[in-house]
Amino acid sequence: MAAREVLRYPHPSLKQRCEPIAPGDELDRVSRDLLDTMRSFRGCVGLAAPQIDELVRVIVVDVSEHKKATTSHGLLVLANPVVVETSGDELGREGCLSIPDLTANVRRATWTRVEAVLPAGETVTIESDGFEARALLHELDHLDGILFLDRIASRADLFARKRYA
Amino acid sequence: MLTATGRDRPGIVAAVTRVLLDLGVNLEDAEMAILRGHFAIVLILSAPDELGEAQLREELQAVGRELPLEAVTLSAVEQLAGGSPEPTHAISVYGADHPGIVHGVAEALARHEVNVVDLSTRVVGDDPIYVMLLDVALPPSLDNAALDELLARVGQELGVDVSARVLDRDVL
Repeated sequence: MAAREVLRYPHPSLKQRCEPIAPGDELDRVSRDLLDTMRSFRGCVGLAAPQIDELVRVIVVDVSEHKKATTSHGLLVLANPVVVETSGDELGREGCLSIPDLTANVRRATWTRVEAVLPAGETVTIESDGFEARALLHELDHLDGILFLDRIASRADLFARKRYA
Repeated sequence: MLTATGRDRPGIVAAVTRVLLDLGVNLEDAEMAILRGHFAIVLILSAPDELGEAQLREELQAVGRELPLEAVTLSAVEQLAGGSPEPTHAISVYGADHPGIVHGVAEALARHEVNVVDLSTRVVGDDPIYVMLLDVALPPSLDNAALDELLARVGQELGVDVSARVLDRDVL
């Protein structure tokens, strides 16, 4: 159990398509490391396995402390998550520990239904909206090597920023 | 067409447009940008017939010296039918910074008659990464799949990541 180094773009692992993972020791280890790493950054609401150089389909999300969250399921540790359905769309500001010098307005669905496997092996369906839905969709993108830079609609939506990490 | 560049500070637009207003010049379209503290503006003007170009130029040079601006240019341009092409796709290009990214992408697009309608780039970070965002208009001869293929190839050649999406029109 340890907070791991977060890879920064252009590390090639951030552009890979990740492999599905079955419940078991490896999933437990990756989940714990992801969680510890997320917790080590104040304000971090989500992390995906490739960001700590584990090319498997695992994400963690926790928006419960975030002021923008309208819906929160508390801590979510999800393996093999799949977006089943989405609706609506709106622009919202996103950043990423793997691209610490930029933020951007990114268009995402306002509501989503995600199916995933919990580390204990149970299959779950999560419906979420607003900021939590955005966090889920952002982390899910990482599992296919997609970064928020791939989803910027217009040049006016990209911003340089001071590092927060 | 008027262009003005200089070190950014409050009041540049106000001072330049004061001159134009006093001379009865109409502003058509305008765009401004600030890059690393430097200001640039491009304006299309329509001047009344009785206003001589020499007088307009002189007054603009005067305000340019006062502010000061680094450069002010004025040139007569033809009114073009059609204006700018409507962009159809947004493209993101990003990667470790190295010379030739903009040129490599732009040349590949030009070779396929893709019109770059808007372009903006940023270099950020200690290990600099380069981000370029483009809005482009595709010719009828090129479809989405062909664009994706073309961009994948140029991305591989340049060692950068490239993605494109269709610009959707919001219908209200």
